[in-house]
Amino acid sequence: MSVFITSAHHETLSVCRARIAHLLLFVFIGMVSLSSIIGWVTNITVTGVYEKILANGLTVAPNPFSAVPELYYARNAVIYVVLIGTLMAIVLGVQATLRDRKSATAGLILSRPVAVSARVGGQLAGLGVVIFAVLAISMAISWAGISIITGAPLGSDSTFRLLGFAGCAWMLLMVFAIIGMIAGITSKRETTALLVPFALWSGLAFVIPQLGTAARPVALLNPVPMPEQTGGYFDVLSAITGPLSITEHFKRAGSILLRDSNVSGSAGSSVAILLGFLVIAVVVVVLVPRQKLRQTLND
Amino acid sequence: MTAAAIRTWDLCRSYGTYQALTKLSLEVPRGEVFGLLGHNGAGKTTTVNLLTTLLEPTSGRAEIGGRNTVNDAASVRRSIGYLPENVQFYDSLTLMENLRFFGRLSGIRKPDARIADVLRFLDFTGHENQRLGTFSKGMRQRVGIAQAILHDPSVLFLDEPTSGLDPEGVRILRETIVRLNQEYGMTVFMNTHLLTEVTKTCTSIGILNHGHLVHHDTLVNTLASFPEEESLEAIYFQLDPAVAP
Repeated sequence: MSVFITSAHHETLSVCRARIAHLLLFVFIGMVSLSSIIGWVTNITVTGVYEKILANGLTVAPNPFSAVPELYYARNAVIYVVLIGTLMAIVLGVQATLRDRKSATAGLILSRPVAVSARVGGQLAGLGVVIFAVLAISMAISWAGISIITGAPLGSDSTFRLLGFAGCAWMLLMVFAIIGMIAGITSKRETTALLVPFALWSGLAFVIPQLGTAARPVALLNPVPMPEQTGGYFDVLSAITGPLSITEHFKRAGSILLRDSNVSGSAGSSVAILLGFLVIAVVVVVLVPRQKLRQTLND
Repeated sequence: MTAAAIRTWDLCRSYGTYQALTKLSLEVPRGEVFGLLGHNGAGKTTTVNLLTTLLEPTSGRAEIGGRNTVNDAASVRRSIGYLPENVQFYDSLTLMENLRFFGRLSGIRKPDARIADVLRFLDFTGHENQRLGTFSKGMRQRVGIAQAILHDPSVLFLDEPTSGLDPEGVRILRETIVRLNQEYGMTVFMNTHLLTEVTKTCTSIGILNHGHLVHHDTLVNTLASFPEEESLEAIYFQLDPAVAP
């Protein structure tokens, strides 16, 4: 078995045994799954009220839910990926690289005929498998939930759109997992290994998008991206912050794929930016210098 | 002529302005159990890190079995086993899972049979499916020895192997080192503070003082050179004034 596959297998095994990882995965899968249930409860409640006022002759308008696309019930998953999934990915990434430093096995591993790129690349692949599995479970539950709510199995077009959304979510989560891995490699303390990527996450998810959109922070918690402002100062600023607003690009791509009526256009440019971020992050982490991997922690 | 197991020429290593190791020239023949002694900060761990390819020398060079530790590092890594000080391994994984991981990193494609042999050799069977989080310090140290010899290295590096062990753990480790040397002809290079262990285990010793090698000879010659001294401890205090009481 090559170093790459050995490291990938070791990573998946370690994540499967870590309690904190279990907790985070449980919360994430639970929230994404709940997304469908929340949509279903909203539907029942609104439809109940609608039928009452219709019976009383107070409206002639159609039920607002009658024209809702079936993927509407998964739309909240967009924000759960941004808020919970990314933090889960950071924790998994930090743990992946910090584990060897905490257990003092980094030196032991590097005293073997092991290429750093194969070792780190393998860990990354292991994380990729874990995150893929988490998203696969979440999407399977969403698929089943929506099928139950709508009374028919989700069609092939909607199923492919859900898979496309999962693919975008995987790219976003991998970027944050790699940010966590880099922090786990470079930080001098365990606490800063977690705090630094969390600070970076808040910058990427809230501060940078705010600069280009003038959005209120609470507005950024919506599953749909905020439109960029135009004119004067905003023309320059959004040209700089736009490509960096990775979570907004994910929200945009996700909303388009889930057929959210509030967002129009093609998801292509946002998907390309997500992919670009992922490629750059992969290159940075696999080219980490050998000596960095065995830095001792000051904790 | 066969190359020495370990050989260094004017090996130096500095960290910024701090000179950790100065012009270390050393030869350890094959089949020796070499003990490197010295006070804290003398440069023992730096020496092991240089010889195990974890660090590159600032100047000078080192060879393991005739292979350069910088230019031929991958080949050196295949020929050595290493047990660092205070290594914890992966608590959430079982003994077998830990050893499989290190075995595969060492290039063993199907490590289970070899792991079984090594655990039998160490008289450490029956714990294979136990998680390491439940292991005592002594048991962990035996895991450390097991992973270090899985790939049958020709040279074994041990950094303070008895650190934190109880007397029983020290005895077991000492016997293991002697068996590895005598039954498998493995060359052992160990850093230690315990002079009694050196007396019972090592065939030759070196003493480092502030990065300088102040003594290097066989244990027999060292003891014979100081007939007036009662023990290796007394000789050590003479040779390394930094630790003299």
